Amino acid sequence: MQPDSDEARPVSTPKRPRTTDAAPNGSVNGHADREKTPEGKPAKRIKSTPKKPATDTPAALKASGLKTPTHKNKAKALFSTPAKQTAAPVSPTKARNADRSAKKKSARLLLEQDEDEIWDGADRLAEEILGDNDTTIPTAAEGDGVIPSVEAGSEPAAADTTAPTPKRRAGRPKGAKNKRSPTPEGELPAHERYFFQNRAGPPRTSNNNLSKVNLLTHEEYFEKMAQWVDPLQEEKALLLDLHCRSFPQWDFEFDQGFNICLYGYGSKRRLLQAFADWQYCRHHNDDDNNDDSENPSVVIVNGHTPGVSIRTIFATIVTAVLGADIPSKMGSQPQEVLELLQSSLNARGPSYPPITVLINSIDAPSLRRAANQALLARLAATPQIHLLATADTPNVLLMWDLSLRDQFNFVFHDCTTFVPFDAEFDVVEEVSALLGRKGQRVGGKEGVEFVLKSLPENARNLYQLLLTELLASTDEGHLSDDEMGGLATGGEGREEAGIEFRTLYQKAAEEFIASSEMMFRTLLKEFHDHQMITSRIDASGMEILGVPLSREEMEGVLEDLVLA
Amino acid sequence: MDADLLEADVGGAPRDGSHSQGVYIYRPTNQSKSFAERPTKRRKVVRPNVIKAAKSHPFVSLLNGDEDANSIELRYRTYQQLWSAQEAKIKEILDDIDSEVLTNVLSFTRSTSPQTYDGCIPAALVTVGSNVSSLGRLLSRLNDQLTTTGEGGVIVLESGDAPNLKTTLKNIIRFAITNTEGNDGYQSFVTDREGPRVLGYDLDLLADYVKRKDVRKLVIAFRDSEAFDPGILADLLSLLSSWLDRIPLTLMFGISTSVDLFEGRLPRSSVALLRGRFFEIHEASNCVDRIYGRLQAEQDGTFWLGRNITSVLFEKSSDSFQTPEAFSRTVKYAYMSHFFANPLSALLADGPATTKRSDQVCEALRNVSSFRTYCEELLEEGSAGQVRKLLEDDAFLLEQSTRWVKLGQQKMRDIFQCVKMVHRTLKHFKVVKKPSLSDISIRALAGELQSSAFYEDFLRSIKTLDSNQLKELIAMLPATLTDSPVFGQIQADFDTLLQTYQGTEPLKSGYDKQHSVVATTIIQQRVKLSKSKARLPKENADFTNIIHRVYTLLEAFFEDTSIRPKELILHEVFLFDMRNPIKEVFSPRPRFAVERALSSPFDYLISPSGDLTVSISAHQPAAAILYQLYLESGSLVNVHDLWQAFYAVFESEQGDSCDERSIMAWFYRALSDLKALGMVKSSRKKADHVSKTSWMGL
Repeated sequence: MQPDSDEARPVSTPKRPRTTDAAPNGSVNGHADREKTPEGKPAKRIKSTPKKPATDTPAALKASGLKTPTHKNKAKALFSTPAKQTAAPVSPTKARNADRSAKKKSARLLLEQDEDEIWDGADRLAEEILGDNDTTIPTAAEGDGVIPSVEAGSEPAAADTTAPTPKRRAGRPKGAKNKRSPTPEGELPAHERYFFQNRAGPPRTSNNNLSKVNLLTHEEYFEKMAQWVDPLQEEKALLLDLHCRSFPQWDFEFDQGFNICLYGYGSKRRLLQAFADWQYCRHHNDDDNNDDSENPSVVIVNGHTPGVSIRTIFATIVTAVLGADIPSKMGSQPQEVLELLQSSLNARGPSYPPITVLINSIDAPSLRRAANQALLARLAATPQIHLLATADTPNVLLMWDLSLRDQFNFVFHDCTTFVPFDAEFDVVEEVSALLGRKGQRVGGKEGVEFVLKSLPENARNLYQLLLTELLASTDEGHLSDDEMGGLATGGEGREEAGIEFRTLYQKAAEEFIASSEMMFRTLLKEFHDHQMITSRIDASGMEILGVPLSREEMEGVLEDLVLA
Repeated sequence: MDADLLEADVGGAPRDGSHSQGVYIYRPTNQSKSFAERPTKRRKVVRPNVIKAAKSHPFVSLLNGDEDANSIELRYRTYQQLWSAQEAKIKEILDDIDSEVLTNVLSFTRSTSPQTYDGCIPAALVTVGSNVSSLGRLLSRLNDQLTTTGEGGVIVLESGDAPNLKTTLKNIIRFAITNTEGNDGYQSFVTDREGPRVLGYDLDLLADYVKRKDVRKLVIAFRDSEAFDPGILADLLSLLSSWLDRIPLTLMFGISTSVDLFEGRLPRSSVALLRGRFFEIHEASNCVDRIYGRLQAEQDGTFWLGRNITSVLFEKSSDSFQTPEAFSRTVKYAYMSHFFANPLSALLADGPATTKRSDQVCEALRNVSSFRTYCEELLEEGSAGQVRKLLEDDAFLLEQSTRWVKLGQQKMRDIFQCVKMVHRTLKHFKVVKKPSLSDISIRALAGELQSSAFYEDFLRSIKTLDSNQLKELIAMLPATLTDSPVFGQIQADFDTLLQTYQGTEPLKSGYDKQHSVVATTIIQQRVKLSKSKARLPKENADFTNIIHRVYTLLEAFFEDTSIRPKELILHEVFLFDMRNPIKEVFSPRPRFAVERALSSPFDYLISPSGDLTVSISAHQPAAAILYQLYLESGSLVNVHDLWQAFYAVFESEQGDSCDERSIMAWFYRALSDLKALGMVKSSRKKADHVSKTSWMGL
């Protein structure tokens, strides 16, 4: 952290030379420098260490009047210099600032309309902290002079296109700022980048949302995808062919008792299919007099298919082993099926060709559970089973502990294919879920109202009660959270807003809607069948009920219910 | 979902819809067609050979497909022979290591019963530490012992088998019965029972089984006892203890932490039900060292792992817990790689290399880098004729190369003799606390043994040996050394000296501390120590002389053997020293791979046009573009702005011709990819924002 040692190691402080280069250009930088010099600190020190500037940052902090994490306060107390007081004429006094609780602050923060200016201040502060004061927003907007790159060329164009939304003119450079600023490509080590991007403070993103953008429907998505011609087809084919060349190697690895795990970005289904073809061809008996059992059996599992269970996997393998003579009763527990499989493999003897099991996406959510992985590991440890699994997620190794890894006995190969995960994921669904707009699919307000019309009085009353309670709880409780999101987050908000099952039942009993829990559940079941309520178990094990509607929609439905 | 469109996109996938099935048995749909096309095209050159050889072994033809079937066969056979020998050695070591604990545990199970323990359940607590696999080995051997003598059996429970009490009991009963009766036996046992039908978790079944089969010992082993739910365990223990009079139980707990911690997790009342003994299984690292020594330093070794691999192997087993099995599998993979991918490995085969295509082998030999350096050296020495002969005469080259390989192998053996000698000496005379064979081997394989601390310690210890110790040392010296005439002379002199020497005390050399006198003088208030040699009796002087000769001999021997294995000619044949297949195959970095694929996709997608675009451009795959934009954002990402930035990338390059909706479809796909990779998740903080969950390079 000492400036001198930093000088000796230029790698660790990549910003330094940049700063000195960039300092003369841009009025803001000049301004920043001027601000500092009166405080009697050598500019060099300020730039070179991230720590030092922290001593004079509280000035800026106070100027914003919004962001004073406690430890910063302490730092200020420790290092306070007279310069600070003079440098912060607009700021509220120290005492007031300290008095203000976090909650009040956040409330004020929400009221604050002129946000951009404040965030700019915070940003500038952060950049000073990092000694990277050449890339404040205005400089970013000026663009090309700072970062001569392809992006620089592309960005102004982007700014032009979004110009039609004039109100958010400030928002656009924000995005641009996110792209090019405080963390220029390759300049910060990974951990620094992490801390920089996670620095405390309100989110530094624009308030744009997708309400004006016409989102894709399933139909449109598939229509567009059908028209798409992959410009990288040739390269991807080459890549796939490269992987295909390792088939004999994989075969040898199987032969020596290893199992294989393929990782890397891209869907590996085609690769696995090709491998199955290859294997079949290779071990296929050309002689026609052999019956089918002599040929190798390959079982393919698609991990992402909904409804695939560990038991069905095992049962299918049993079918592959035994062919027609499957016992009528395999057992309901996967363990039982696995044991049946193991004993029948033992009974069969080693002369038969082994069973190859190809698992697409062993890290798919349905297979991801520890119990399932333990069972798969046992399967993999069975001598007559050759297991080839593919993994898509980057953190796949975390699924397996030492003993599981030992049982799996994997050899790993990087099989990046870049093939899109079309078969694995329902893209539109995933994105809607990500954006919290999933509820709209169910039928939204109209759908709910339609169902309600056909339900008895009691059910309507219960739904009304549920809505009232939910709206009331969002009003009181998670004020800051929900307010922060604004009304438009209703879709996401309802994920959180919920009412505990017991509470609702008590209220319903009080209102004479349901006299017994039985009846209450019957009513709820009706809602459940029509996907009008959501239910989840929270951390303490209580069942929380919610409604898959945005806040406005909830209000609308409630209004109609009351008026009806 | 729109299946038709999906089909169109997946392209090569079978059209019968099997890819939307969860699990299915592979059936070659259009057998004749697809097989004629793909595999043959891919492996055109090797096809004729492979088809013939396919049934027998999985090796493929190397040397651009020109290798003939004979040498492929030869490689495979050599591999099989070599590895099966090594595997037997490993098994021997593992058995040996376990045997002590096994006998202890076995005698414990046999000798104890509830009666001897005042009605408590006899329990063996086995701490395994990091050596988790050893318990499995132990249990299976215990089971073998007990079942062959008909005494009973071992029921191995894992935490996954015990989600609740009923299932646990059911599993115990089932494991116990299937262990001897098989799966069908269990079914018939449950169904063909007289009297009222009992449920699968009724311990009556087990008691009945015990009575019928006259089982005297039933061991229930909890493999990972820490992972069991303490509540279930407590219930189970109290239940089992009440059946003790009907079922002769012994419990066994595998403990990876410590007995105290294990005891602390159980309620007092449960602990009071148990009484037993504590066993300890040795640490894995010890075992791994022994295996390595056995594989590499044997007298009859023909193939060795080099320095890099050794360090990778031991890095792995010291950085993370690794079972001896996993260690030997890694070694196995190294062997596999060598024989699978190195055509020259056929030269390791016993007997003459019978290949029709010797020209191919010779060409390969001439391309090997160690051969080239050798030739260059020859040229510098001025023996151009020799070089010419090597380059032109195939028969001569083959003959020479077999000689070279033999020589090289001898050198390698010598190196490991040195290693073993140093190791044994250090261990025997306790010079270093815990000398590890692997460390010494790494130094030796790098040709740095002489500059290492081990070597210095070794030489120092030689100097201070007394006559008894010297005798022990001589017994440990490798044969190559003891066969030399110089050594014979020393040995003879030493023997005569010992015969003439009458004293009871062993002879000490002049280098010994006892023979030096420390004089203390005080000069200017400072203590000054000065050493001087005490006068030696004649025998001791002679002995010092002998020690000195041994010392010089050893020094010369080390001078001789200490070479870098990589400087040996044709070391490519008998030394495998590539870090990479091993490291990538056993310590993969999937996260790094994904990040790399997305941040610089053209590392993978090698463009035929050779166009290497560095920064974000519309030519990259959509997910890669989005990922790079995502990297630059903060911890909270505005999806709208992200979309705008994504769109801008395309718009700036394609101008007005780009179709916004198509781009949005790609955006969707890319975003869903990021979500599936666990890089974004929805956030409640702001509308249409997602939070970033992974940082590149961390």
